[in-house]
Amino acid sequence: MPTPARSPLMANGVTAFAPQFDDAEQQRTASNLGIWIFLATEILFFGVLFAAYAITRVRFPEAFAAGSRLTNLPLAGANTAVLVTSSLTMALGVHAAGRGARQALVGWLSLTVALGCAFLAIKAVEYRFDYLEHLVPSLDFRYAGPNADQVELFFYLYFFITGVHALHVLIGIGCITTIAVMASREAFSPAYFTPVDVTGLYWHLVDVIWLFVFPILYLISRS
Amino acid sequence: MTNHAPTRPIVYVLVWLVLLALLALTVGSAFLPLGWANTPLNLAISVTQAALVMLFSMHLRSAHPLMKIIALIGFFGIAILITLSLFDVLTR
Repeated sequence: MPTPARSPLMANGVTAFAPQFDDAEQQRTASNLGIWIFLATEILFFGVLFAAYAITRVRFPEAFAAGSRLTNLPLAGANTAVLVTSSLTMALGVHAAGRGARQALVGWLSLTVALGCAFLAIKAVEYRFDYLEHLVPSLDFRYAGPNADQVELFFYLYFFITGVHALHVLIGIGCITTIAVMASREAFSPAYFTPVDVTGLYWHLVDVIWLFVFPILYLISRS
Repeated sequence: MTNHAPTRPIVYVLVWLVLLALLALTVGSAFLPLGWANTPLNLAISVTQAALVMLFSMHLRSAHPLMKIIALIGFFGIAILITLSLFDVLTR
């Protein structure tokens, strides 16, 4: 990556936007349009998993209820709070970028990375409990109750959906770390902080997806 | 974005508090014996939470109409996918 300090996109340089754009506003709209198109494909990507889940659950409702009761609700609930909070720190980071508050920006981004790592750590502990309770399909799955095969199907979906989501969190942590390093090297200004903006949008979407993953996997038939 | 008036930080904090309250509500409601209504209630709370994040934290409220349309297309696509798939499964 070229040194951001010499980027032609710098507001304190000669131009605040790349030559193919009329003005900074148009460049900003184009970047936002690009990330939103990407986010729509992400929504569709997870949509396929949700569709697979919906079809399987409609066919095997008892097995999904039994499987869901074996998931770790306290850890997943705590993780939801962690991710929602990381969304707040990210929003405050983007706000700091718009004000040109560099130290605040780096601080909020670092906090967001820390919360993202906490999410993955809690997820890892949760997976370990699942393994110890013999709930990992293919690897070590033992279930004594009825419909064992269908309960295993629930856990295939559980690990696939949470696993792919955790991968998105990991990628987000990488992106935010990069942005934080760029910010500490004064790559952004109130006139140009698009990378902060679009990374924030990606991070919020990962949060939005989890807000659906959480109830459909952890909250079936708890009463 | 068309509107450059920045969202005030207090708005993000309020959204965060509402999201946490809704999280408590969705977990709490799951322990009530509501029968078939449990899942629709959980999903309605999720949709509310997602709408809050997308409108305020992701600035869709003040975004260019094109962004709003693209965001909706994603969810519209999922709705078609799930609905039509379930037509098959539920009418066998």
